[in-house]
Amino acid sequence: MSGIFEYNGGSIVGMKGKNCIAMACDRRFGQQMSTITTNYQKVFKIQDNILLALSGLNSDIHTFYALMEKEINLYNLKENRKMKPTTFANLVASSLYERRFGPFFVTPIVAGLENGKPILATYDSIGCKSDLDDFQVGGTGGNYIYGACEAFFKPDMSPEELEEVIGQSLVSGCDRDSLSGWGGVVYVLTEQKLTVKILKTKQT
Amino acid sequence: MIDFDPSTFGLAHTYQKEDKDEINTLALPSAPQVIYKTLNGPTQISGGNKLNNFKHGTTTLGFVFKEGILLAVDSRASMGSFLSSEQVRKVIEINEYLLGTMAGGAADCQYWLAYLANHCRTYELKNGSKLSVAAASKFLQGILIGYRNSGLSMGCMIAGTDTTGQHLYYIDNDGMRLKGDIFSVGSGSTYAYGVLDNHYRYDLSLDEAVELGIRAIYHATHRDTASGGVVRVYHIHQDGWTKVHDGIDVVDLHYRFAQQKGLVGDGDEAKQRLF
Repeated sequence: MSGIFEYNGGSIVGMKGKNCIAMACDRRFGQQMSTITTNYQKVFKIQDNILLALSGLNSDIHTFYALMEKEINLYNLKENRKMKPTTFANLVASSLYERRFGPFFVTPIVAGLENGKPILATYDSIGCKSDLDDFQVGGTGGNYIYGACEAFFKPDMSPEELEEVIGQSLVSGCDRDSLSGWGGVVYVLTEQKLTVKILKTKQT
Repeated sequence: MIDFDPSTFGLAHTYQKEDKDEINTLALPSAPQVIYKTLNGPTQISGGNKLNNFKHGTTTLGFVFKEGILLAVDSRASMGSFLSSEQVRKVIEINEYLLGTMAGGAADCQYWLAYLANHCRTYELKNGSKLSVAAASKFLQGILIGYRNSGLSMGCMIAGTDTTGQHLYYIDNDGMRLKGDIFSVGSGSTYAYGVLDNHYRYDLSLDEAVELGIRAIYHATHRDTASGGVVRVYHIHQDGWTKVHDGIDVVDLHYRFAQQKGLVGDGDEAKQRLF
């Protein structure tokens, strides 16, 4: 726990379904072993069809999100159109690499729907993009969530099933990590709507 | 592997004869080079990582009140940020009139408190009367001072009853032994003290004391990441000890306490809707 990625703690997970995507995150904001608040936002709606989840140092979560918000707003103004999820995924990678020798201490996950097709991309802290997986995790509880994901995941799930599976994976994973938890939020994005649900989890 | 010539064993060089051929003049065997390195504590093994210092990863508390002594502990064990168990027993039942709480190295606490139990029973058989709490705690202190600087990690409370009443002692691996009315040990102790100090009175009833102990542990488990699991509560009175609660899930406590205040307990009480 001496690393900078473990200073604040936190976990995120993203999953693809049939023409839908889901993201989930915990809500803890802590400083090493002490929990400060239990309502810290880690998943951001960049655009109606793009979600950005960030884990790592909370200061950089906020800063990187603000940077991406600025980029997409300028893009909308300059190009007078919405940004495609695949374009945004690329933007995240290059923005991270711009700080190659003084990186943001975050591990982002981008999820979106492009013409109904789900897009999921994950990165290391210097912008290596990986977009071929059906589910991805990040944060201190990531490895524990992987186990639950592997067990529960199946391809082409409906939005309701996906919400259930991603919520369960997040909770099971965070229960084994002392630095993640204290609540959970699940976001399910379909062509029609974005559903946001608060999970009732262990508050310990 | 160190090779010894067998002829160098056995015979001590006690006298010298002129005729050196008659006696095996032997050189005393040279001792194998063994280097003993003392550690400052278990943290040194794990590279000084503060979270692997097991002494701190817990919350235990005890206080004296008019009905005796109340002990309350959590049940979480963590290795770094990984939760290895949520069901650990941190109150060790030494005998029917003595209890010890565990904080620090679990093996150290379990072993030495069992050793203390053995000593208490032997004393009882030899002397026909039970060992006092003061003497039992002093015995343990003596052991720990002997092992000072060798890396033992223990921050335990000894609580028990004897002919002079109920007594609470704090013992740690530095050899400290303190008699007191209120103690809390572990990483969550600061949070527990906050609750304890606010509502403690000597003339609490048993129910009020149990409630206070449970609340203090709950608050520590909520804020401290290294504390959690279930709350176990013991009461020491003149006839020995009673296990009041074997394991109350702190998650249930969180939502119950929130409901009592008319809240939901999901961290969104201020309705900031940060999502």
